[in-house]
Amino acid sequence: MNPLLAQFLAEAADLLTQVDEGLLQLERDPGDPELVNEVFRAAHTFKGSSGLFDFPELTRLTHAAEDLLDAVRGGRLNLDSGMTDDLLAAFDLIRGWLAHVTQHERLPASAGADAAVLITKLRGPLGGDATTPVAEKAPVVHVIAPPPEWLRHFDTEWLDETATWLTTTASTLRFARYAPDEGCFFRAEDPVHLISQVPALAKMAVVPPDEWPTPEGYDEYTCLIGFVLAARAAHGELDYLFRYVPDQVEVVELDGDAVRRFLNGEVAEPAPASAGEPEPAAAEAQDPALVHDAYALLTAAQSSLRTEGVGGARLASIAHSVSAAAAALGEITELADLNAEELTETVNRLLGSTPPPPPPPAPIERPVPEERIDRGRADDPGGQVGTKILKVDQEKVDHLMELVGELNVAKNGLTFLADSAEEEFGSRVLGRRIKDQYSGLHRIAEELQASVMDIRMLPLSVAFSRFPRLVRDLSRRLGKNIELVMEGEDTMADKDVIEALGDPLVHLVRNSLDHGIELPDERTAAGKPAQARITLSAVADGDAVVVEIADDGRGINPMKVKRKAYEKGLISEEELEAMGDAEAVELVFRAGFSTADQVSDLSGRGVGMDAVRASVEKLGGTVTMKSEFGTGSVTRLRLPLSMAVTQVMVVSVAGQRFGIPVDLVVETVRVPGGEIGRVLHQDVVVLRGEVVPVIDLARALQMPWTPDETADRRILIVSLQGQRVGLLVEQFHREVDVILKPMEGLLAYADEFSGTALLGDGLVLLVLNMKEVLGLAARAQ
Amino acid sequence: MPLELNETTATLSDVVTVDEVEPLVAWLRATPKGKVNLRRCNHLHTGALQALLLFQPKISSAPANAFLAEQVLPLLAGSGGATSRPESEPP
Repeated sequence: MNPLLAQFLAEAADLLTQVDEGLLQLERDPGDPELVNEVFRAAHTFKGSSGLFDFPELTRLTHAAEDLLDAVRGGRLNLDSGMTDDLLAAFDLIRGWLAHVTQHERLPASAGADAAVLITKLRGPLGGDATTPVAEKAPVVHVIAPPPEWLRHFDTEWLDETATWLTTTASTLRFARYAPDEGCFFRAEDPVHLISQVPALAKMAVVPPDEWPTPEGYDEYTCLIGFVLAARAAHGELDYLFRYVPDQVEVVELDGDAVRRFLNGEVAEPAPASAGEPEPAAAEAQDPALVHDAYALLTAAQSSLRTEGVGGARLASIAHSVSAAAAALGEITELADLNAEELTETVNRLLGSTPPPPPPPAPIERPVPEERIDRGRADDPGGQVGTKILKVDQEKVDHLMELVGELNVAKNGLTFLADSAEEEFGSRVLGRRIKDQYSGLHRIAEELQASVMDIRMLPLSVAFSRFPRLVRDLSRRLGKNIELVMEGEDTMADKDVIEALGDPLVHLVRNSLDHGIELPDERTAAGKPAQARITLSAVADGDAVVVEIADDGRGINPMKVKRKAYEKGLISEEELEAMGDAEAVELVFRAGFSTADQVSDLSGRGVGMDAVRASVEKLGGTVTMKSEFGTGSVTRLRLPLSMAVTQVMVVSVAGQRFGIPVDLVVETVRVPGGEIGRVLHQDVVVLRGEVVPVIDLARALQMPWTPDETADRRILIVSLQGQRVGLLVEQFHREVDVILKPMEGLLAYADEFSGTALLGDGLVLLVLNMKEVLGLAARAQ
Repeated sequence: MPLELNETTATLSDVVTVDEVEPLVAWLRATPKGKVNLRRCNHLHTGALQALLLFQPKISSAPANAFLAEQVLPLLAGSGGATSRPESEPP
């Protein structure tokens, strides 16, 4: 199915529920303008979306509903229960249609006729602009439909006569089924009265209920019966008479041939009840499979009778099967007392009178006229609209995620238990068995975690979707000609990431539009095509997603940026001299920096780029920018695919364990104590010709610890904003996946930690916020 | 008065509306072998028709009204109606 259609159907199911609820509430509280508005909006959305597809009836019907609601909304009309009924009927019909669309990708054939009736009703209160739909529906209704099964309620003899008469005169009759709803007496409807008004009524019959109630349990105010009628009245006359109950009436036009076909047993759905009725047609319309079986049975009986010496019990059993076969063929014969000769004669007679049936598979499937199916489905309210999509509260998924995390923790506890079983209780067997259990549990927990993560995944198109509009509007306002290219929208990422990505992306695209892209004249002068191009692309890169915003605008002038930064006091004079072009470009991410000559209302308030960096870093991602003066800039955001699980490296300092996000870790080194040098009160270590400052983590966190003078120093090298920093630690441990919980309550002030996580052995791991830790270390010196 | 009920016969006359349905049903319940006279009946409410179909009283006198005589009377059992209703056995 076309993805657009699939999405429409999924949305439609929601909209329909909304409309139904809204309408029902409106009936209770007709004055509420907010409710009217809500229903109107839903109808409006429906109409708008339906226009994308080739469903003219749907559009027309929703249009009529929308007009009515608009009049109600505007106060020109007061919604009464009749109108509510019509509206509900309209949306019920739509629900039926969409169920059909879900299966067949098109509307049912009867849609035009059904819609026309409702449109007339909906337009009624507005002063009836019904001419168009009536004119349009005319050709749809006047087809000679295949015989409906409800013809069986008519007297067979009468049908037979009528069929002959209609065939002889080459004319047609309108047949209608009228199924009043149970509560119709309360609405002052009198079906018999309505039928008595039908001009040139030829025949009327009652459709009895499936089961009559007992006289004691009979509720005289429930309408149980329905009617079928045949009339020479024109379609228009019938439509007019039944204009208040169109959904309860089905009208078909049949000629003699069609009625004859019905009498011969050809109906869309074979009626089970017809077997019990004294119709000559019923006897002929036998189950072909049964006939086939009976024929086979008789042939078998014939051949066994031919063999000599049949008698006694054997003969009785043959007689029994023959009489069963005879019954199946519609003949009741008493064969029990016959002798072999008479039996053979009966079998021969039966076989002679029964033509050999065609092979069974073919006749079982009776050709069913397609329109008939459509009609049946159209008013089937139980159909499924759209594919099954569950809407789950995000909190529930988050809670599930937390539980998965705790399961992981509990699971990890098993390894410790296995160790202690081995060491404390000396049972290696038990330890091994616990480990076996652990590995099974581990696999399930992993899968569970993967599927919960998968639930949270969304395509990046969700974040990208607002940009076509944004770019179009802004480029108009700025008088720039811009083409937006989007690539890799179907890359998936965690919904938290997608949501958090929205604002930074808007900042970046606005910046490109406002500062990057030149005016068309300027572009032509620079030898570029007048139409600029902004490319938004996303690619998955391992466990990260990389989003790039590229433009072919003027790029960043490193000289100008440096000078500006110097003027604003962001960099010193020495830095101004020494800074390379690439570094200069990065200056735009410094707080308080804005290069635009004038502050516009789009961007350029000097909070843009540093806000972008801050929010991306909060997500655990990085932002980098490359720009070539004159040809454009590329901003690259690298974000984790998921924020729910963080991989941390565990180290310990002064006996306490800490976690450091693995993304930041470059390497771990051991250097002899003597190799640590000191430059300007700062410990440094020289690694492959590069001087790396080393921070004593214990001192930064104010924990008492003196490294063993003789042992090697363990240094963890991390990379932070492009700079390498060494952390002096006591010991390295393994990497673990943890679910990070933010610091809350009494610990909220502790900025040096980005969160806590529970380890498998029950210990709480504090995860370091490296940026803050470096700040602390700088202040401690 | 469209409805005259006595011990054995109910006489329905003129237009039988929904208001007459309840007393008619009560009478039909209480009078299993009652007869119904439809001679002067001009219209039968659907509820009344449904009650007659369910309780199947004997129709003692056919209606004079053309629609009722031609279309409705054949539906009522005990008057030679051809439509069979196997489910609607009298209680």
